[in-house]
Amino acid sequence: MMENKSIENDLSDKNTLTLDLLEHVTEPIGKYPYRGWETAYREQWKYDYTGRTTHSVNCAGSCTWKVYVKNNIAFKEEQYADYPDINPILPTYNPRGCQKGANYKEYVYGPQRLKYPLMRVGARGEGKWKRISWEEAMRHIANKIVNTIATHGPDTITFYSANPAKFAITYAGGLRLANLIGGVVCSYYDWVSDLPPGEPMTWGVQTDSCEAADWFHSKYIIVWGSNLLETRIPDAHFLTETRMRGTKIVAIFPEYNPTSIHADIFIPVKPGTDSALALGMANFIINKGLYDEAYIKQYTDMPMLIRMDNGKFLRESDMTSNSSQEKFYLWDQNTGKPVLAPGAQGFLGSQDWTLNLDSIKPALEGIFTVHTNTGPVKVTPVFSLLKQKVAAYDLVTVSGITGVEDCLIARIAREFASTKPARIIGGAGTNHYYHNDLTNRSHILLAALTGNVGIPGGGFDHYVGQEKIWCKEGTFDLAYPLGSTKQRFQPTTLWTFIHSHIMSDVDNLWPHPMIDYIRESVHNGWMPLFPEGTLDSGKSPKILFVWGSNFLNQAKGFESILANLWPKLDLVVDIDYRMNTTGLYADIILPAASMFEKWDISTTDLHSYVSPFTPIIEPQMESKTDWQIWQTLARALQETKFSYHDTLPDGTPVYRDFSTLVNDFTAQGTLTSDKAAGQFILDNSVGTRGMTMDGINEKPRRFVATGKEFTSDIKDGIAYYGLQRMYELKQPLSTLTGRQQFYIDHPWFLEFGEELPAYKPPVQEDKYPLRWITPHSRWSIHSTWRDAKYQLRLQRGQPVVYLNPSEATARNLIDNDALEIYNNYGKILAHLCISPRIPPGMALMYHGWEYYSFRKGGFQSPTTIRIKPTQLVGGYGQLKFKANYWGPTGNQKDTRVEVRKYKSG
Amino acid sequence: MAIMRQIQMVFDLNKCIGCHTCAMACKTMWTDRDAGQMHMYWMNVETRPGTGYPKDWENLGGWFNADRNTIPLPHIHEGYGTPWEYNYKEVLKTEGGDTPAPKLIPSPDPSEYPYASNWDEDVGKGTFPNSYYFYLPRICNHCTDPACLEACPRQAVYKRSEDGIVLIDPKRCRGYRYCVKGCPYKKVYYNPEEKISQKCVFCYPRIEERKGNFCSTQCAGRISWIGYADDTKSNIYKLINTWKVALRLHPEYKTEPNVFYIPPLSPPTYSFTSKLTDSPRIPIDMLAKMFGDTHDQNYDQRVTRIKQIFDILQNERNKVASGGNSELIDILISRSEADRFQI
Ligand code: SF4
Repeated sequence: MMENKSIENDLSDKNTLTLDLLEHVTEPIGKYPYRGWETAYREQWKYDYTGRTTHSVNCAGSCTWKVYVKNNIAFKEEQYADYPDINPILPTYNPRGCQKGANYKEYVYGPQRLKYPLMRVGARGEGKWKRISWEEAMRHIANKIVNTIATHGPDTITFYSANPAKFAITYAGGLRLANLIGGVVCSYYDWVSDLPPGEPMTWGVQTDSCEAADWFHSKYIIVWGSNLLETRIPDAHFLTETRMRGTKIVAIFPEYNPTSIHADIFIPVKPGTDSALALGMANFIINKGLYDEAYIKQYTDMPMLIRMDNGKFLRESDMTSNSSQEKFYLWDQNTGKPVLAPGAQGFLGSQDWTLNLDSIKPALEGIFTVHTNTGPVKVTPVFSLLKQKVAAYDLVTVSGITGVEDCLIARIAREFASTKPARIIGGAGTNHYYHNDLTNRSHILLAALTGNVGIPGGGFDHYVGQEKIWCKEGTFDLAYPLGSTKQRFQPTTLWTFIHSHIMSDVDNLWPHPMIDYIRESVHNGWMPLFPEGTLDSGKSPKILFVWGSNFLNQAKGFESILANLWPKLDLVVDIDYRMNTTGLYADIILPAASMFEKWDISTTDLHSYVSPFTPIIEPQMESKTDWQIWQTLARALQETKFSYHDTLPDGTPVYRDFSTLVNDFTAQGTLTSDKAAGQFILDNSVGTRGMTMDGINEKPRRFVATGKEFTSDIKDGIAYYGLQRMYELKQPLSTLTGRQQFYIDHPWFLEFGEELPAYKPPVQEDKYPLRWITPHSRWSIHSTWRDAKYQLRLQRGQPVVYLNPSEATARNLIDNDALEIYNNYGKILAHLCISPRIPPGMALMYHGWEYYSFRKGGFQSPTTIRIKPTQLVGGYGQLKFKANYWGPTGNQKDTRVEVRKYKSG
Repeated sequence: MAIMRQIQMVFDLNKCIGCHTCAMACKTMWTDRDAGQMHMYWMNVETRPGTGYPKDWENLGGWFNADRNTIPLPHIHEGYGTPWEYNYKEVLKTEGGDTPAPKLIPSPDPSEYPYASNWDEDVGKGTFPNSYYFYLPRICNHCTDPACLEACPRQAVYKRSEDGIVLIDPKRCRGYRYCVKGCPYKKVYYNPEEKISQKCVFCYPRIEERKGNFCSTQCAGRISWIGYADDTKSNIYKLINTWKVALRLHPEYKTEPNVFYIPPLSPPTYSFTSKLTDSPRIPIDMLAKMFGDTHDQNYDQRVTRIKQIFDILQNERNKVASGGNSELIDILISRSEADRFQI
């Protein structure tokens, strides 16, 4: 700590000028004679060697960095800036990084760094720890695992980590052990609400966005709830650079933010009303005939026939008995007859599994009569129904809902529809709302109506979370040695909701109480819920492993989790390189190697290169790489010589013998080293065939191919963009209809009025006046760097909440006041920052602050878990549970709060 | 009184995203050596309108534009912002310990001196939805007439002949801080530990290796260009002299700074009836008070120049949008890193 007082004195101007004997310098400009000292700074810039790494923080950056080492200390980080260019027309990806990545070393050497295995000695969360040996820690954990399996079953052992794309080997380590011993693997992408549910619903994909360079091809970009310039720092330049090229940038956000400042038009929308705005635009586009008719006939379900008696697709099985339920009809204007639409799931494997229409001329509008097995039925194309439905979103109504002036809505709609390629970039700003699926679907609708999906520079692209695993096949092979079909997967939102006894406060929005939907979903096998029997016998999880992620800090329903879920857990193990909120509430902490100390692989949506982490320095103190930690645990488990007969939920028997666990884990010793595990991933992934760990360390490489879960090929000289196989190769999507599917005829969707995109207002259940908006921040990636002093010094040093001046005045608050932010769920303390960039009616706090950064409460204290029943649906075409692809999202932006001045004591 | 070459730098404020990667790149290289440097950001990014860093620096004065006897010295806490320390050890106890953990708090309490170098980040001015702000990155301007050099009674400040970089000789400096007062941009800092003044060195050890300075090579927004003033083929020359889209910050301070800025466009305001207008939300008046070409230009001339630059930018954008070519746009995009660093 600096001596503050003495500095003050020192800086006051009381020194008097004392002239010692000094040679006069005649020409300080250009001819200074005493320049010998300059070597001092040159010395500072000397180093022994450099190494390459990146950061696994779920920033979606995956930026390659050079670390300079002198005397075995990593003293300086620099963006490597050696990505090969895609082509000379596109701006380069170099340099690539952010201010946080520029100082990761603060964690490598700082007081946050975990150095030894620790065991809790006080109450959970109290922060009392005892240093223990690795052996003690491992023996303790192994015995607990074995006893728990024997007493409660393997499905009470739960594994949580996030985003294999950010650290494939680290992620795979825990999963590999879970797969071998029978544990439950939790999802992350839906839980943190980064999954855009509209993409699996409409496109049958998890997410397939273009890489950032493709923004440069767009001629019109609506940045809609995606604060790119603040939260995609390494890629932001593609946006400002394409703007220079004349691309119009429209920023739609409720607040004036860093992305808005570089837009051509800023459109302030009322929070949570984005789908109304999108449907207003869709209505305008349809009414004015600005849609791309040929495109929607071929690539969307718009011409598919819907039965007017029950709202369902007209299926082949309706027309001919014993035929497919997965083949659907178009009305062919040539023949005046219904014809089967090629490309539907029912055609899989046949030559009609294509989007080629050949001679079919589908109708988009009209009412037709068809003769079904049970008699004549009136049918109409999806487009007719859509047209009727969006008619409710006329400009005046939408203006009332969204606060956007009607002429402006019309103008944006017209410009968007008449400038190709046009793109909507979506993000957390829209995706973290309860009705996120409706918003995604209406955004995709705009992009599809205008024929923009599947072309360079166009479409709907969503960036939240680092979900894109370019080396997927190898990563999954490494993670699931017995195969992913033998893995218990858990949608985390559901697991946390049930085991934390969250009381649903959105039951009034639906015909039935939420628990009924959950029961039906679990009962039908739509969504798994572990341990098996939870809903009937009240079984609960017993052991939780968290590694490389901060489960507790991100958990919506934080207070209920601590109160109800945590006491059920006999053992919480946290594996990390730094202490965080989850660590503070864990029982055992295992110190992991930092990002400077191990081999690993990172990839992202935002670019198409692979680059590694490498061990630039040794793991500090007693830390070990995650891959080695899981092996150490495998060894401790092996020593128990435990074995048992497991039965998976589908009845598959698996005999699990721990006495060979180390061999199983290391594949007979071939995967013992981290680097070998990395090479295994490269060898077994189609995108990295022929690459070596040393090769990608030499220079980042661009992927050479994409697997079948991608919607596009990767081509030399072309920036990656989504749905190219659909558009160029006429390859059907994996949706039920094989097309971009806007109509979902599942009974729940029909009952809820969500068979087509619709607007539903944000949840108003918290009876408090301020919308609680918690966007991603410039200064942290989730909780990483939230507590880092070099970053905090460039903020206000502690958590801050932003209010509009009018809200501050109304409450008699002045800047920097300590505030209590509260609702029914909890309260937190933070300091006030008054800014006119925030609209009235909003309290904004950047997300990710650690529990211990607040003098009271935790970052998620005011939130709860609100499940949307449409996201519990399974057994319907593209809507079937797959961890991180489809499941209920853990949204939080519908939260409302009040603030008041905090009076301590 | 002559140098052989002058290095110059241009920042495009239309590309600046306020990410501070430049500031962190500089901090972790040059001002992370001892406690006396913690309040220094040789490269800082400030939100405008705002108080800037050090606080209200534009009102403190400099050697050529104020009464030399009354120029104040900024103080650490009030002027530069406290480099807070944190009780990590007690909270996180990563080495064990059985006292209950307190909360992580900065000390001293930020409320004691509610200021830091980036305290008013993104605060801005105006009334929602017409709020406005932009980011202003600042380093030492390596001025042609350095006020710091002029102010130093010991002649410890000098300007290098080969590149015009302004340096303080730490051997000759006695920490009188006339340079701190003298610099109207407040880009010289006093190190109370080492008892000398220190400033941006334009990463000269890297410039000598023909690598760019860290704040430009590490700029994630790719907003900067560097080059030599006499290199008429360089992009900085074209931006400053051919296309004339780059201006000096406060040329009226009379030091002839060698750092230039392309002024920021901004999205149009809304009228009372929520109609989109076509006037930019950042008032031209505010920009004209900050940016200009030369010290003798008057306010009206500055207003004209800023409008002219906006017109040039808009025309060239339109030209490219309708299929044409533009040298200016190609430079602003700078597809390769070689387009930005020409030294
Ligand atoms: S934190 Fe993420 S965005 Fe920042 S430098 Fe590291 S990888 Fe890039």
